[in-house]
Amino acid sequence: MTTVASFFRKPLVLWIIGIAIAVILVVLPLVSDPLINQTLTRILVAAVAVLGLNVIMGYTGQVSLGQIFFVGVGAYAAAFVLRSEWGQSLGAGVYVVAFLFAVVIPGVVGMIVALAAARLRGLAIAMVTIALPLIGVPLAKRLSDITGGSQGISVRYFKSPDPAILADDQWQYFVVLIIAAAVFALGYFLVRGKYGRAFAIVKANEAVAASMGVSPYRYKVLAFTIASIFGGISGFMTLVAYQFYSPDSLNFGHSIELVIATIVGGSASIAGSVLGGAFYVLVPQLTQAWGLGAFTLVIQGIVIILILFVLPGGLASLPKAIRRRMKKHRTPDSDGRSAAPSATQDASTH
Amino acid sequence: MGDVGTFIQLVVDGLANGSIYAALALAIVLVNQATGLINFSQGGMAVLSAYIALTVSNLLAPSIGVAGAVTLGIVVTLIFSFLLGAIVERVIMRRFERGDPDTAVVATIGLFTLITGLCGIIWSYNFLPFPWYFPVTDSFMIGTIGISVWSLTTFIAVLVVMAVLQIVFRSTKLGLGLRAVADNPVSAALSGLKVGPLLMAGWGLAAMLGAIAGTLVAPKLQLSPNMLDGALVYALAAVIIGGLGSPIGAVVAALGITVLENLAAYYVPIIGNDLKIAVPFIALFLVLIFRPQGLFGRKVVVRV
Repeated sequence: MTTVASFFRKPLVLWIIGIAIAVILVVLPLVSDPLINQTLTRILVAAVAVLGLNVIMGYTGQVSLGQIFFVGVGAYAAAFVLRSEWGQSLGAGVYVVAFLFAVVIPGVVGMIVALAAARLRGLAIAMVTIALPLIGVPLAKRLSDITGGSQGISVRYFKSPDPAILADDQWQYFVVLIIAAAVFALGYFLVRGKYGRAFAIVKANEAVAASMGVSPYRYKVLAFTIASIFGGISGFMTLVAYQFYSPDSLNFGHSIELVIATIVGGSASIAGSVLGGAFYVLVPQLTQAWGLGAFTLVIQGIVIILILFVLPGGLASLPKAIRRRMKKHRTPDSDGRSAAPSATQDASTH
Repeated sequence: MGDVGTFIQLVVDGLANGSIYAALALAIVLVNQATGLINFSQGGMAVLSAYIALTVSNLLAPSIGVAGAVTLGIVVTLIFSFLLGAIVERVIMRRFERGDPDTAVVATIGLFTLITGLCGIIWSYNFLPFPWYFPVTDSFMIGTIGISVWSLTTFIAVLVVMAVLQIVFRSTKLGLGLRAVADNPVSAALSGLKVGPLLMAGWGLAAMLGAIAGTLVAPKLQLSPNMLDGALVYALAAVIIGGLGSPIGAVVAALGITVLENLAAYYVPIIGNDLKIAVPFIALFLVLIFRPQGLFGRKVVVRV
């Protein structure tokens, strides 16, 4: 089995696999039907929100239960620009300005929240951020001038420029794909670089981090701000994909589902963020399709608890877990299992 | 006099809701002291317990009358919730207790999702009316001031429960054991205490406290799987404001923020009833900035 494993770790092979996936992602939507394209689009939208959550949760080790709030802030900020008169007067530039709004406003809000929440050690961020979606829903209903109140807002501006070449669903898919690819590239270099190492030390031991000159407070705030910005970008992408946003979309339950998706996909893993996005979108979609809509929450709850018990690194760690098991099978004495399971421990699996 | 009357009504209603949140906050502190975890499914478990009470009450009400049925429903759900808490601790949470706290939090979130989903499947997501000893809209007059009977009795009931809990903790062997485990599980084990069963008892007691909160508030809010989602936020805010290590702090903070938000919703028009949930959040913010260890908490020094 080791020959197979080492084959898959050769750089050339990895490049070929990467290019193959990229080609499939580009070509598949041109030939598949709109429903599949729509599903792929939604998975990419969720994957960006999950990636953001992974920056704060997986890489920095701070549980945030408010990610959906920043998705909502981003969506509303972008919609505000797209629907305004001054926005309309900008021509095609309106999309750029809307995108910038969806980056800056959630980022600023996220930073303010983190400046307070990161002061407490341990679980304070989880306990504070759980309030965000619960405040967000009534707030969105109240600010009906911007948000359209309970009815929500339609943003029907993301149409294909030339339907003869690309249908609307294909156009939306490619817009979302390009943004997602850029965000994932950014995330990849972020967690591998200087900041990623600082996050990992903060996660492993705050006291050690402080003694090495890495301020846990500053890096927690930074990680949370980045998570909020990625959430905001996911909000912009939500507008592209759904052309609609309402207070229901920033429901507390969705925030919890994002946390579950992050851990199921794979904590501190770039690939895991994509898998998490798929889990977030596919579980409700499949249960609805099979007429088991009522079971969505129960399935999500059971899956996350099972994952924590048997595969704490999430789905992304499955190949590694299998490899380890096979190795263990050959030499029964080499015990690779750790005593206490930890979903947010394995920082080396990218 | 009208203004004073309104003020007193707002305070009494605030104290009633606050006592519900206080019970939930106390349950969270109890679990935290015993195991170092924050149980985000505390509200979910309380809702499940309230559903059990409702089912028993509705089943028995035609034969023995509403009052008897509700009483039996409460008794049954107290037993149920104790077992629920103990089993959850043993079967699911035990594995995460000494590990990474963030993983444990995710586990309780999974549990919360699972329980909410189960309630939804069994009892639907509709609001179910909960039978009670008297109509929850009843009120009595002191002079010109109308006081809600539900508010007053709920407040008193929670105070009594807390007094009982205090006695259990201060003057029983079980309470002594629980305090020893909370203080230092390793030395508690070394001095012969059975830590495992004590942890189960701690979770059981916390779940019972939650069940009381859920059952008391259900007649007013009507029962739905998400009934206590908001209450959980208040309870967590109270726990942070009061200081995680301080049961009294959590109770005082819960009562304080609820009275404050009731007054703010009425006297500050921009907040209003829909946004009053923002009040504890803002209070929380201020406390975190100016006194991060909580109003009643002690500053913890971590040795490396």
